[in-house]
Amino acid sequence: MHRARFIATLSMLLLLTNCAGLQRDHVQFDRLSDCPQQTSAILVAKQSQFSALSDSHTLTCALAVLRANQDPMLRRTSLGSRLCLYLAERESNPEKREKLAAEGVDFAEAAVAEGGGSDGEVHYYLAANLGLAVREHITVAVQNLGRLEDEMKQAAALSPDIDDGGPLRLLGALYLKAPAWPNGVGDSDKALALLKKAVAKHPGHPLNHLFYAQALWDEDEEANLAQVKVEFALGKKLLAKGNWGYSKAPWQKEFDEFQQELGDAGLIPRVIE
Amino acid sequence: MRKICLIVIASVLISFVASAAPDSAVIVVCYPGGSVNVKDANEAMGSMLRVVERIGQWQENSLNSLFSTKTEDCRKQMAEQKPKFAMISLGLYLELRSEYNLVPVVQPKIKGRTSERYRVVVQKDKYKSLDELKGKSLGGTVLAEPDFVGKIVFAGKYDPADFFVLKTSNQAIRVLRALEKGELDAVILNEQQFNGLASLHLEPPVEAVFTSEEIPLIGVAANSAGTTAAERERFGKALEGMCTDAEGKKLCELFGVEAFITVDAAVFEPMVKLWGR
Repeated sequence: MHRARFIATLSMLLLLTNCAGLQRDHVQFDRLSDCPQQTSAILVAKQSQFSALSDSHTLTCALAVLRANQDPMLRRTSLGSRLCLYLAERESNPEKREKLAAEGVDFAEAAVAEGGGSDGEVHYYLAANLGLAVREHITVAVQNLGRLEDEMKQAAALSPDIDDGGPLRLLGALYLKAPAWPNGVGDSDKALALLKKAVAKHPGHPLNHLFYAQALWDEDEEANLAQVKVEFALGKKLLAKGNWGYSKAPWQKEFDEFQQELGDAGLIPRVIE
Repeated sequence: MRKICLIVIASVLISFVASAAPDSAVIVVCYPGGSVNVKDANEAMGSMLRVVERIGQWQENSLNSLFSTKTEDCRKQMAEQKPKFAMISLGLYLELRSEYNLVPVVQPKIKGRTSERYRVVVQKDKYKSLDELKGKSLGGTVLAEPDFVGKIVFAGKYDPADFFVLKTSNQAIRVLRALEKGELDAVILNEQQFNGLASLHLEPPVEAVFTSEEIPLIGVAANSAGTTAAERERFGKALEGMCTDAEGKKLCELFGVEAFITVDAAVFEPMVKLWGR
């Protein structure tokens, strides 16, 4: 198969158009009448307070304000995209999750259009939402690989340290899990380098250790086994002890799946407990 | 299906939720030398099988895949599962065809061709022929099947294990970087890898010092003792219809496959003879 050309062609098309195959209608929220009165100025002032730890009602109230707001100063920030990501990550309904993530992509694209393209966070949350929006759909996912890489690279270049090395972590994970050359952008060497850097600069984030462990495992199961176990254990400990809010459950699932993979490969789970 | 077809669907970041029925038929899928996460691969294969089931009018989830990138695991799965159908490499097909009564069912057609050539590449002007590479290092993903390389790619003229110092890798790009740095003397590539070289802009550039004869692409093979002619025809027809089906067409495009076509078993006879030498 000649996937490389296929991906390259689609990626070029995607750069010229919009993200292929994303949901375009929005999730409707309940209890908006309970929301506090908020202006764009208030949201700008408190945007750093929104996080994965925020309750869903707080996030939906802020998102509702953003949906109705055309203030360029607010719309060129990553806030709308970030709120969508927090809500999408905790949404169990796949259709709603994809709609929220797609809306997050829209917010980020609008931010770029408003002049926010030099903000690494805009590219970071665009990529994170895009990945979440397409991950259940093979054809759409592959069509968007080039776009994902491009956005993550911009985020890593502009703001490598946001979200505990999020751009390094995401780009590393993309290189680790995407189809490898010549079929796609996957590249184990690049993945290993990025994730090693993420762990070194941001050792407090559990996923940095998990993905680094996976990259080491991918590079050489036998030679790297001891280090794989160390990184996995470190990440697992950080996840257990930290307050990761709504992110904890999906991250725990990632850890469990890798532990299962190690077990399937002949490592008994207790060696990494 | 051509080996490389499998990696693409297998390694995309997706998770298709498709649990197999308890009595589902297992299709063993082998991709020796690949760097594919087995779980992702099995999940991704499900997307293709759901289309095949629909076109072939089987019950949904009645087909299930068992994926492996390790030759030894493939042999084990073939022995344990004794599958009716398998998507395996040409090397494994030739090795196991007698033991499991394997017959080819369909071949993929890619860029108008149902065959490919393998090449050995070196740094430009460093070596002039394969003979000059005696005792030198050779890397490549296809070395996961050294018997296939020796008997089929080199048509029995060179035994890779004796002739070269083999450096197997599951990452084509990694061995090409090693070639670029001079850490490897040569790399063996399949057609798709060779065609992708231009995108890497290697410096110094590389050139082929060996090009194999045309080698037919293998697709799906069936156990002729475990299936009826009608079952094989039904499965083959379902795959043939895949690339014209609305949903299947998207997958075919992803695989880079124009069509799956019924196999003329005679195409593989020269390979069988080479293997048996």
